Amino acid sequence: MKKIENMTLGEFAAFVQSHLRENEIECILSGGACVSIYTENRYQSFDLDFIENFSTNTDQLEKVMKKLNFIKENRYFKHQNSTYFVEFPPGPLSIGDEAIFNYNIMIFETGELKLLTPTDCVRDRLCAYYYWNDLQTLDQAVMVSKKLQVDLEIIKQWSALINQENKYLTFKEKVDLY
Amino acid sequence: MLEVLLGSKNRERILLYLVFRKEGYAREIARYFHTDVNQIQKQLERLETGGILFSRTVGKTRLYAMNPRYPFLKELEILFEKSLEFYPEQERESLLMVRKRPRRKDKPL
Repeated sequence: MKKIENMTLGEFAAFVQSHLRENEIECILSGGACVSIYTENRYQSFDLDFIENFSTNTDQLEKVMKKLNFIKENRYFKHQNSTYFVEFPPGPLSIGDEAIFNYNIMIFETGELKLLTPTDCVRDRLCAYYYWNDLQTLDQAVMVSKKLQVDLEIIKQWSALINQENKYLTFKEKVDLY
Repeated sequence: MLEVLLGSKNRERILLYLVFRKEGYAREIARYFHTDVNQIQKQLERLETGGILFSRTVGKTRLYAMNPRYPFLKELEILFEKSLEFYPEQERESLLMVRKRPRRKDKPL
C-alpha cells in the first residue's frame, strides 16, 4: 500500500472511503474534491467532503477514523501525514432539493471511490454560483464540463427548474468559449 | 409552537425569524425575542453546521440566512408559513412589517 504522504487526492479519498465502507459507513465524495479528481488537479482542493445519506453516530465515526490515525479538529478530521482533511457535511446527498442516487465509481490502487457523477459535480458547483454568485465555482463547473462528457441538457433543464436560466447561459457561453 | 418538533425554543425562533426576515445576526434575533444572545448564537452555529443556514460576514457582523441548498428548504418554509397563521396578528405584523427600503444617513423621520 502506498504511503499516505505520497497519495494523490483521489487515492487518499479512495483509501479513506474504503476503510469507512469496511466499517459499514457508506458515503459519497462530493464538493470541490470531485473537481480536483475530474480535472486532474487543474483545480486543487484539500477538503474531502464525504456525504452520508443516513448519518452515522458521531462517536462511531470518530472511532473508525481514529483507527486510521485521524484526529478530529472542530468539524474536520486530519492525518499527520497528509495535507488533506476530511469532513462529513450533513446529508442527504442532494443537489438543491433533488435527492441523488446515482454516483460514479473510480478505482485507485488504494481502493474504490464513489463520487458524484461529472454532471452532478457540475450541478453541485453551479449551485454556489447560482445562489451566491461564486465565480470560482462557476470556473470549476466549466473546467469539469470541458474535461469530461457532461449532460448539458440535464443541467439546462435543472437550471430552468430553479429559475436560473440566465446564469446557465453564462455558464454555457464559458463552456463554448473555453 | 414547533418547539417539540425542533427540540429547542430558540431554534424555532431563529428559523421563524430567518424564514420571514430573510437574514439576521445573533444580537438582532436575540433582541427581537428578548432572549439571551449566547443561546441564539449557539443555535445559529448548530443550524449552520446542519446545513440549514449559511452565513457570511458583513464588516464585523456575521449574517445568517436560510441555506438555499438545504434539500428540505421549501417544506420547512411551508411549515413556518403555516405556523405563522397561529400567531396573534400583532406578532405576525411585527415580524413581517419591517422597513426594507434604504434610509439615508442622518435623515429625519
